Amino acid sequence: MRRQRHERRAALGFLLPNLIGFGVFTAGPVLFSLVISISNWHLHRTVAFQWVALRNFVELLQDRDFWLYSINTAYLMLGIPFAIAGSLLLAIVLSQRLRGIVVYRTLFYLPTFTSGVALMLLWKALYNPEFGALNAVINWWLDSLHLNELVRALGGGGVSAPTWLLSTKNMLGLDVEQIRIIPGQWGLGARDALIIMGIWIAIGGNNMLLYLAGVSNIPPELVEAAQLDGAGRWAIFRNVTWPQLAPTTFFIVVMSFIGGLQGGFEQARVMTLGGPAGTTTTISYYIYTKAFEEFQIGYAAALSWVLFSAIFVITMINWRLGGKELHY
Amino acid sequence: MKSFFAITFCVLVLLSVVAWQIKPDPPPGKIPLVWVSDDNPARRQQIALFNQLHPEYDLRLDPRASTAGIEKVMLQSLAGVGPDLADAFSPSDLDAFVRSGVAWDITEELAERGVDLEGEVWPAILPTGIREDRVYGFPANVAVDAIWINKDLFDAAGEPYPEGPWTWDEFLEVAERLNVRDARGRIKQFGFLCDWWQWPQFIMLFGGHIYSEDGTRCVIDGPEATEAIQFMRDLMYEHHVMPTPVDEATMATQGGWGSGTITYFGAGKGAMALGGRWWLCTLRDYEGLNLGVVEIPHVKEPRYRAYGRATVINRYSPRREEALDFLVYEAGKDYNDLINRQADAVAAVVRYNYTPEFLRNPEHPEEDYNEVWRDVVKYGRSDDWSSFVNGQTAMRILNKQLDLIKSDQKPVPKAMRDAAREVNEEIAKTLEMDPSLRIQYYRLTGRERPE
Repeated sequence: MRRQRHERRAALGFLLPNLIGFGVFTAGPVLFSLVISISNWHLHRTVAFQWVALRNFVELLQDRDFWLYSINTAYLMLGIPFAIAGSLLLAIVLSQRLRGIVVYRTLFYLPTFTSGVALMLLWKALYNPEFGALNAVINWWLDSLHLNELVRALGGGGVSAPTWLLSTKNMLGLDVEQIRIIPGQWGLGARDALIIMGIWIAIGGNNMLLYLAGVSNIPPELVEAAQLDGAGRWAIFRNVTWPQLAPTTFFIVVMSFIGGLQGGFEQARVMTLGGPAGTTTTISYYIYTKAFEEFQIGYAAALSWVLFSAIFVITMINWRLGGKELHY
Repeated sequence: MKSFFAITFCVLVLLSVVAWQIKPDPPPGKIPLVWVSDDNPARRQQIALFNQLHPEYDLRLDPRASTAGIEKVMLQSLAGVGPDLADAFSPSDLDAFVRSGVAWDITEELAERGVDLEGEVWPAILPTGIREDRVYGFPANVAVDAIWINKDLFDAAGEPYPEGPWTWDEFLEVAERLNVRDARGRIKQFGFLCDWWQWPQFIMLFGGHIYSEDGTRCVIDGPEATEAIQFMRDLMYEHHVMPTPVDEATMATQGGWGSGTITYFGAGKGAMALGGRWWLCTLRDYEGLNLGVVEIPHVKEPRYRAYGRATVINRYSPRREEALDFLVYEAGKDYNDLINRQADAVAAVVRYNYTPEFLRNPEHPEEDYNEVWRDVVKYGRSDDWSSFVNGQTAMRILNKQLDLIKSDQKPVPKAMRDAAREVNEEIAKTLEMDPSLRIQYYRLTGRERPE
């Protein structure tokens, strides 16, 4: 009994620094932000502090920018399935017994431990419409296939390489100022540029490591049994590998959705400042703008809680839908 | 395991003590002062001169990133860890400092030290330091843009150097003749270089306004402002004398010190460029560059956009009294002469621009155009601003519409109408939020205050 009490006290002693840190730097600010979300707290002293109940939340629902930036956030998440598929493919390739596999694994993981800002500046240069490597390849390809001549011969206006970070165009044709689709906006623009970059960064990142661990944990006897039954590579992947990786995939999907909803801040800050015309402003960047550029702290806190609620609901949906499908 | 944790804990405590001990302290006997401004060689010289003239101080720079606004300074100051001095780069910056309570009202303090802001400083830059007849900052310099000309490119084209005053039509003819294309038909030398963020300059040049005089309404959809932006758009897409956004990206335009359009102009990629005297800080590094300056064409009376920095003292600084010495230094001869020698725009104190050294810097005798800079400052006007809307919010709205014009996606009149409407909606929201502004607004507009 005495020993038990002693152990409990020791455990508490070891946990205490962490608990204090969590309380002061995480739980406290989170609760504080909830409290200020029902206030009009503004950094300008001329705005008298008031409790406004749910007014910030009501205003937010009527804020057109909030909806436009929510769509931007959702649009940037379109890259998630491609990033997950890419990570899985890469993990399967890197799980093979190849010479120098450690070097390959390290190379693919490099973007994850390289500074995000450095990568973004690199991609900004790659997306330069005139001198960027990407458009150099596209232009070479257009020239060598004589695509422009072909389009003009068919009565079209010619094809040109995208202007990437300068363009408001997008693959779905989303309008800039209203929530609608217009044909004039079809094309590749800043949002797509961010998606492509995001996929490139994510493919070799933590998702690949998780899949790699998942693949190496698949019992070899399952694969051998399938081979004895005459299954080919695709059949083995579909009936053995993929079901065995379901818990990993579920975890990755949940985390990617959470990351996607919270994402876009760094890219916007470093590469586009939210432009052109607000097309790369995501909810997280909007929160920053409202709080630290426009000084509406109460409104920004309300925005943060709406974002949290969205993440919570989507994670719950994922959990309900995905959790049932898990096979072990 | 227990001993491992105990040792780790002790090591961390020890390291914390070491870090605390080796924390850089100001030299003994000196009073530390921190100034937030943009980092560049000129700024460091200005600091060195202050430290030399005032050996009791140790002034250091806390560099302000070009993309970051005043938010960092405001938050740090309100949290009690702000700098002693910070630069406001526009009247709306000052407004934010004042309304957040960060800027210290130094009207009496400066008067006691014999500094008469309104009597000594170029009027165009006063709104960056004065709010509602109270002094909060001392202008550190003043910039009014003109058109730089690359004389060698003019000579190569057999074009005489322009002389002011001139019209936009004359300007366009010259700019078109100075465009040079490569074998593929792409423009390799532009007649005119100008950053898109110069749009407020054009509105002013065309006699337009962003806000009504009392700041109660956004009037950017007025005919003059619309004409100005239409003209700017046409320079890119109709006359092809100014780089489009794609060309701009090619030039990697970042704005600010020593980058973008300045370096592009320095490299001879444009025959004319809209810029300030402060460009010389970079252009002096280009050897053999043969430069001239001419005033910008204007539509009605000459009205040029004036901008610059004013240094504000953090009200919460424990060394705010000492920080006043820096403002007195900014008002003095040594600092203002240094500004003029460095060509960090033009000295804010008028009388220091009326010296033989200003007209002919002995170190740079080739700069024979300083009289133009002094002349245009006389016609400088501060940026339009409104105290009824947050400057950053308004810029976010305006820049969104101007982005659409810049990329040729929206007709100018419609974009300007939408911009004005959205800013006016934001003004209404601000009034709802801020009772003191509401009173001021109803007083200015003479409207009845709704119950």
